[in-house]
This record gives sequence, structure tokens and C-alpha cells, in this order.
Amino acid sequence: MGEDLCSEYDVIVIGTGMTESIIAAAASRIGKRVLHLDRNDYYGGMWATFSFDALQRWLKECHNQDQKNITNFKNKTYISQDEILISCGSQSSVSNIDEQWFIPKNVPVNASENSFSKNEKNDFWDQEKIKNLSRKFNLDLAPKLLFSRGSLVDLLISSNIARYAEFRSVSRILTWYNGQLETVPCSRADVFSTKDVSVMEKRLLMKMLQLCAEYKPNGNEFKNFEKKTFADYLKSKELTENIVHYILYAIAMSSINTPCMTGVERTQKFLSSLGRFGNTPFLWPLYGSGELPQCFCRLCAVFGGVYHLKRTADSLVVLKTDMKSICKGIVSNDQFLSTHHLILNVSEAPSSFLQETFNEGLSRGIFITNRSIYSSEKESLTLLQFPYGIKNKPITVIEIGSSTHACPDGLYIIHMTCKQNTNATEDLKPAVEKLLEIEQIDLDPSHSASSGISGFAYDYEIYSGAIDMTNKENQEVKSVRPQVLWALYFNCLETSQCDLSVNVPSNIYLTSGPDADIDFEFAVKQAKEIFKKMYPNEEFLPRAPDPEELLLDDEEIISGDNNSSLTSTE
Amino acid sequence: MSNFSNDVLTTLKILIIGESSVGKSSLLMRFIHDRFEDDLGLTIGVDFKTKTVVIDGNSVKLAIWDTAGQERFRTLTPSYYRDAQGAILVYDVSSRVSFVKLELWLNELEMYSNRKGIIMMIVGNKIDKDKREVSREEGIQFAKKYKSLFIETSAKTKDGVEYAFDELVQKIIETPALWENTRYRQTQQLTDDNITDNQSSCLC
Repeated sequence: MGEDLCSEYDVIVIGTGMTESIIAAAASRIGKRVLHLDRNDYYGGMWATFSFDALQRWLKECHNQDQKNITNFKNKTYISQDEILISCGSQSSVSNIDEQWFIPKNVPVNASENSFSKNEKNDFWDQEKIKNLSRKFNLDLAPKLLFSRGSLVDLLISSNIARYAEFRSVSRILTWYNGQLETVPCSRADVFSTKDVSVMEKRLLMKMLQLCAEYKPNGNEFKNFEKKTFADYLKSKELTENIVHYILYAIAMSSINTPCMTGVERTQKFLSSLGRFGNTPFLWPLYGSGELPQCFCRLCAVFGGVYHLKRTADSLVVLKTDMKSICKGIVSNDQFLSTHHLILNVSEAPSSFLQETFNEGLSRGIFITNRSIYSSEKESLTLLQFPYGIKNKPITVIEIGSSTHACPDGLYIIHMTCKQNTNATEDLKPAVEKLLEIEQIDLDPSHSASSGISGFAYDYEIYSGAIDMTNKENQEVKSVRPQVLWALYFNCLETSQCDLSVNVPSNIYLTSGPDADIDFEFAVKQAKEIFKKMYPNEEFLPRAPDPEELLLDDEEIISGDNNSSLTSTE
Repeated sequence: MSNFSNDVLTTLKILIIGESSVGKSSLLMRFIHDRFEDDLGLTIGVDFKTKTVVIDGNSVKLAIWDTAGQERFRTLTPSYYRDAQGAILVYDVSSRVSFVKLELWLNELEMYSNRKGIIMMIVGNKIDKDKREVSREEGIQFAKKYKSLFIETSAKTKDGVEYAFDELVQKIIETPALWENTRYRQTQQLTDDNITDNQSSCLC
């Protein structure tokens, strides 16, 4: 690209995922010279949100990565006697990719007219139509929610980065109980308006929530349950079965094995986030989770951070002495770039930095469907903890519609996430089978091109059946499951439980990818910790001034250290 | 619409894009503060600037977004382009390269802008310079090809700057589809005051 990079930095950050982007913004904000690189031509790494086409390109790259050889060039000109050159890794972190179409490639025009003359044209979806509307999709690799009083919301507000993003509140929380979906009453108003719960149960539920909300470490309430499970505690309270279910699975988002105090803490976290924005404790970023790393990158750039995509470290220059080793800089596109600190996403780390091979993973599923899992009058934004995954591990289900710009009108996106057991397709099966219609319309997408007319006719019957039901359903036919049009399963690494600092030079900090939790808390925590190690005496992301606050006269370099001294230009 | 004072019709997001050092920040500085400095250097600390203008008796608040230096290696985030109603595409009339590269910026704008019919204004800046590498006619032809508005300016002498922004805003206001429907989008803006169900699409 003609122009070359300046060769000296305070911090070089490699990877534009959530944790890396927060650190880059924080360092730039206090005046450090930051260089932020990413090997991909898009922002976000494993936190990215893609259009349909971009997701297809990502899948292709994942397939290619397996065969890619890491170029091992040993150019010694960058280094002096005591220094060594370490090649960077490119750990393939995605596996078990399984993409499935459930609709025909394209529908001949007359066929669709005959079969669907009564319906609007829009009601029929074929592969071609989905691909043509590629940019209407925002598909998340790592869909995550924000607790309304969680650390990310606080950080976005206190740093003034909130102005770059918009959110919608999650409108309902569902649970799977007695073989069907139910709405979980989680606010006081919900509890009193719900019809699924008797008056006595309402009182019990409110009382229980009160107890958890008021819990203090030295109280007596939970004394005998410190070594027992949260489920044991709830059962001891003589609650009805459905109340136990609501609290355990939907509110505490726990399982039957969750320790009592963990369950209490989670219940508290849930309750404390109620009532700030909307009906539930959660927010969802418009255009997807991948927006949020970009917001932090923008702030980093505003304060002078330099951005270069499609560029990464080919190797690291490390000075080794008897006692310790220190990173002097990186070699990137044959250029030596020096730095005081290096932030490295774990997928970029040389294998010698990693203590063990990672064995934890996430199972992910993304589904495009023709309706909601639980139809309602208005489009909903839904969170469901499906309790009965493999080995009783819960599966997190998030359903979003066109109002969040996740997909075109008339479709829904359903995300599923759980800890990896075998592979994503198997791990998510329990929830998929209960919630979705995955009748293979033509068994395999590659067949549909050559399957001929009869294949199509067969497809139509099943498919139009599903659509007819949609149209008849004006009342409450909540039990009709949504037809899956397209599905993608994959596994990715989960390193949040690993110690990433063991074999690493003291000024290199490894960051994790997306973790199993429903929110961004882990990324924010890790970013803060790394920042504090680098700059123990500096403030973490102080508030950025609003444009009206920028002082223009004479000295116009805005340090922003002291907001009160910034005067209005108006 | 708690974010707006009563008489502001709407808030518009306007982008300034183009190659490095074609004078994007100078144009912005001239338009907002009516000032010019020969050496602004690389843009640091400027996010976006706001100004309220009156169009046909209605107040319109403009939020004009700077590239924050992310144009240098073509790394503007997709979210930068999001929801913009207008874009000012700048080249330097004394640099043919900056004119040729404008096509890439148009492609990028096309790729990421999610509002149908975003209004574009192509601006040939630095006409105060003696050396000229791009003629006015070429500029006009190029703008025609992309159905864009066009003007030549000098942030230094003030020539055309006011006009560039006014024309763009006028055209946006004449296209209500670009800004009217933002009113009933129910989204949350995070603020300290815990506003619940704030119906707003305000970006600043």
C-alpha cells in the first residue's frame, strides 16, 4: 500500500477481537503510540459479525487454513546476538464446520407462482434469494448480550464510547418446561401479569427473588448450603416445581450441578440488572456483537492509534537473558517494528508460548428460520437457556429478527451456544430437535441442482405446508416450530480457563477469544487486568470528550485528562 | 425525542472521506469554525463535529464524522458508514492520485452504507493551489457518472465550502425517506440517566 508504517510504538496489538480492541483503546486514550494489526481484512476475529457473503468467505478461509503452511523464514538481519526470532503461529481455531441448506437452490418462476399465488412473493425463500439479500444479514460468530448493569455497559458509558453503538433490549426470557416453551416472569410486573403461575406461586417466587437479592455474605439464609448445590437449596424451600425451574434455569442460568452460592450470585446479577433498560436485564447490540470491538477501535484511532488490516506479525524478536526474556518488537512484511508491550491474540501466539494444547471448546450453531420459536404479536428478542443439553449442560439460545438488522424482514436468526462435548452438530441436537423443524427438504444442497423437477415438487409440498401454517396462525398457535432454511455448525477454542502467561516473555500479553458466558464480562475483565499490568498508575479509559467540549484556541491538542478544563466552543 | 431540543427537525450523520491529506479536516474546520491552518497534521482527537444549520426555516443538526486517520490504510470500520445520510468525498485538484483513488472510496461507501439513496457530494479541494492536475470538467464528468453532487473548493480561501455542505443538506432534507423513518425505531442509547425505551436514533 505504498506508505510504510512508523517503526516505533509503545503498544502493538495483534488481533481486533473484543479484548484486544479494549486494550488498544485504553492505551491510545492515555497517549500511548498504538499500532493495531489484524491478519484478516475485517475487524473482530472470532468476535466478528458477517453479511451472508462475508460469512461464506470466512468458511472458505477456515477450510484453507488447515492446509496452509506457516512460512518459516529465518531472516537474521533484524536481530542482534542475544536476540532470537520466533515465528508466529496461526492456530486454526475453528473445526467441525457443518453447513446445511434446507431449501432448493432456486425456484423456477412459474412454479412459485402456481404454488404460492395466494401468498405474497416474499413468503418463499430459496438459496438464491438469501444470497441476493446477503447484506441484510448480520450473522455473529460470537453472539453476546450485555447485562444492563454489567461492566461493559458501565465502561461504554464512563468512557463515552456508548455514542458509537445502539442497542435493543431483550424483550422476553423463555424456558423449556414440561416439553414446551414458557415465558419466564422476571420482573415484578411480569410476575403479577403472568397467567402461567398461580397467585400462591407468585408470592413464593417474589419472596425467593427477594431473599437472593438481599443476600449478604454473613447472613444465615444460605448457611447450610455452602457445600451443596443451588438446586438443593431451592428444593429445601418448598417451592413448586415450576418455580424451582424458573429460578434455577432461566434466572440463575444454572444447572442441577451449580453450587449454591454461585447460583445465588447469578440470581443477584440478574436481578440487579432489571429495570434499567427495558423489561429484561439484557441488551443486544444493533447490527450484532461484532459492532462493539469496532467501537473501541474507533476510539483508539480517534486518539491516534494506527490501523492496518491484512497485516500481522510474521515473527517476534525476543531478547533472552538468564533470568527472563523480553520482546523487543515484531517483524511484519519485512519491516522491524519496535514496541514496549505486545498484545497477542492466543490464535497468533507461537506454539512455544502455550503451556498445553487447549481442550476446551465452544459448540456454535447459527440458523436462519422462517418464523420465531415462540410466535408473538410483535417481533421479540429472545433469550432461552435450554436446560437439557448433553450431560445436562445448558444450551444458550438467542433469537433475533429484522429489527436488530440481523436479517431481512420475515426471517429470524437463531443462535445456539454451549460448551463443546463432541462436535457442534451433536452437542446442539437436543435443542435443535425440540425447537426447530429440520426436516431435510432435499437432503443435501448439492443434490438440489441436479435432482430435477420431481425433487423440487417434493420440496414444495413440505415447504408450502410450513408456510400455510404460518398464514393460518392468526390466533395462538405457538407450537408450530420454525422451519430451518440454512444452518451452520462449528466448534471454536475456549481459552478463558487457561493460564496464558506461563511461558510468555514478560512484556507480551496473550488474550483469549470468545468465552462460554452469555455476556462480555470476561473480555472486559481480561482487558482491564492486562492494562493494569502495563500501566499500573494510569486510568483505564477515562471519559472521552464530546465534540462540543473540544477547546480550539491556541493549544488544541486534546489530552482529555482533565475534562473540567475543556471548554465549550459554542 | 428527549435528545433534541424542540425545534430541531432532525439530526443527520454526514461522512467526510477521501485519501489522506486532501484536506478533509481543513474543510471541516472551515465549515464548523470558519478557520484555516496550514499545517493541521494528522487528525488526532477529532471524532465528529456538530453544527446546527437552518434549512427552509427548519433547524437541522449535523454530525459530521471525521475518518480519524483510518483512511490511511483503508481500515475504516463498517460501523463508521452506518446510518449516514450524506457523504462528502474529497480529492485534491493538485493530486491526480487522490482523484483516481476516489473510485475506491465510492466502492467502499456503496459496500457499507446501509441507507438507500445516500446523498453524495464530490469535492475537488485546494483550488487555491497553482499546480492543478485534475480539471474541473473531469471532476464534473466523474460526479455525473456516480450521480453525485459536485463542487470545487478551497478550505484556505473559503471558496465553495459553505455551498458544499448546504447543498448536501438541502438535498438530504428534500429526500425525507432518508431521515423521517428514524423516528419510530425503538432503540436504546446508553446514557447515565437510565432512560427506558428512549425512542431515538440520535448518534451524538
